Amino acid sequence: MIARRFSRGFDMLMTAPLVVYAIMVAALFLAMFTQITRESLRIAFTDPALRHSIWLSLSTSTASTLLSLLVAVPSGYILSRRVFRGHALVDSLIDLPIVLPPLVMGLAILIFFNTTVGRWLDRGLVDHGLFVYQPLGIVLAQFIVGCAFCIRVVKAGFDAFDWRYEETAMTLGANQVQCFFLVVIPNVGSSLVAGGVITWARIFGLFGPILLVAGTMRGKTEIMPTTIFLETSIGRLEVALVIAEMMVLISLATLILFKRLGGKGVAG
Amino acid sequence: MSAAFLRIEDLCFSVGTFRMERLSLEIATGEYFVVTGPNGAGKTVLLKLIAGLYQPDSGAILINGRNVIDLPPWRRGLGMVLQEGLLFPNRTVEENIAFGLELRRVSKLERQRAAAEMAERLGITSLLSRRTEMLSGGERQRVALARTLVLKPPLLLLDEPISAADEQARDTILCHQLKELQREGDLTVIHVAHSRSEIDRVADRVGHLVNGQITRIEITGAR
Repeated sequence: MIARRFSRGFDMLMTAPLVVYAIMVAALFLAMFTQITRESLRIAFTDPALRHSIWLSLSTSTASTLLSLLVAVPSGYILSRRVFRGHALVDSLIDLPIVLPPLVMGLAILIFFNTTVGRWLDRGLVDHGLFVYQPLGIVLAQFIVGCAFCIRVVKAGFDAFDWRYEETAMTLGANQVQCFFLVVIPNVGSSLVAGGVITWARIFGLFGPILLVAGTMRGKTEIMPTTIFLETSIGRLEVALVIAEMMVLISLATLILFKRLGGKGVAG
Repeated sequence: MSAAFLRIEDLCFSVGTFRMERLSLEIATGEYFVVTGPNGAGKTVLLKLIAGLYQPDSGAILINGRNVIDLPPWRRGLGMVLQEGLLFPNRTVEENIAFGLELRRVSKLERQRAAAEMAERLGITSLLSRRTEMLSGGERQRVALARTLVLKPPLLLLDEPISAADEQARDTILCHQLKELQREGDLTVIHVAHSRSEIDRVADRVGHLVNGQITRIEITGAR
């Protein structure tokens, strides 16, 4: 609520750009909605390849998010709590996947799998490869890009935590493991959930690196952004629109959830 | 007075511009020792060094004859109450008081009984089911005190534990409950305090800390 003593004119001046931009964004998505037909909806929900693409998008994003959280929680804790030799270097290295175009990360993954170690990791156990042009490649690309976001959000939660609670718990007899699980984690819980949600939203829409690492094999490595690309390239724009709108709605719901959980930083 | 329960020998510690050099101190079993001094004198630092929250540069800290310098805080067997109370926000008052007992795997029933008993002694029974963010500064400090006292630690470190309480509550807690609990359990207490009336009511001895050094020890008659 704006208090009356503030100038209404000034507030309107400051609000105007926000309103214009919000209308522009909303208009873009509404325009897409108006182009969706009953037939395109039927195709999108009955075509087995498209259903597989939706399922693969949801499942790989969830798997990569869980994997990211598994890495981000201890990483965020140690980056926030300790200063060690090379701290600044590691901290900057983690920011690289955030600032670089995702396509560069995809290229880096692809090049890595062309090295001796990479080839062994990819084809050492399975002849047809574990990652390159395989569904696991999707998870790997999503994880490499998404984990950096996850670490940032989770670390922000640890940074905001008053560490004297941990000291207090220690004087009451809690060792470091007990402090972490009984005091720290319950009090930064919303940051962990927010980290998970924003990571999921970020990697759900990832396209470039997945295209490079996993390819666009229909029914095998095709995810929702790939579907939009494929459907557009064969001229089925109306089907691409349905998938795009589904992504808009899912992303919007995720971002609302993230903000409700008090997420700050990357998307705050 | 009994044998030394806590002996500090040539303790050296520095952080930023603060320097503590060769501080030595002996506190007898069951003694109520008050530390006083100006801001920045190192009172809280001294307590944190004893508690193991800071690692000294050199020197020894002997608790009951055992050098604890390499022991982590949770193995030193002491209790500490900080000025701010610092109650765990995810727990109710009762759960806060019972936290240390939970770590010691005391049964839930026994935890509840002990928490209720301690809460009654400190006049906070009505707060037991409350969330901690609803409490005033003075109430927080009393809950923090209860959380530590319920563990009956042989050595109690208090950093202005009731500074936020009103005059009447301070009098009740200090003169009756805290001192009584100390006598009952033969607790050794190191209490950082500023108020002269507070010091006179509880202290057996008062150590004046200035620039990381005990400059004077005064014997009072509170016992």
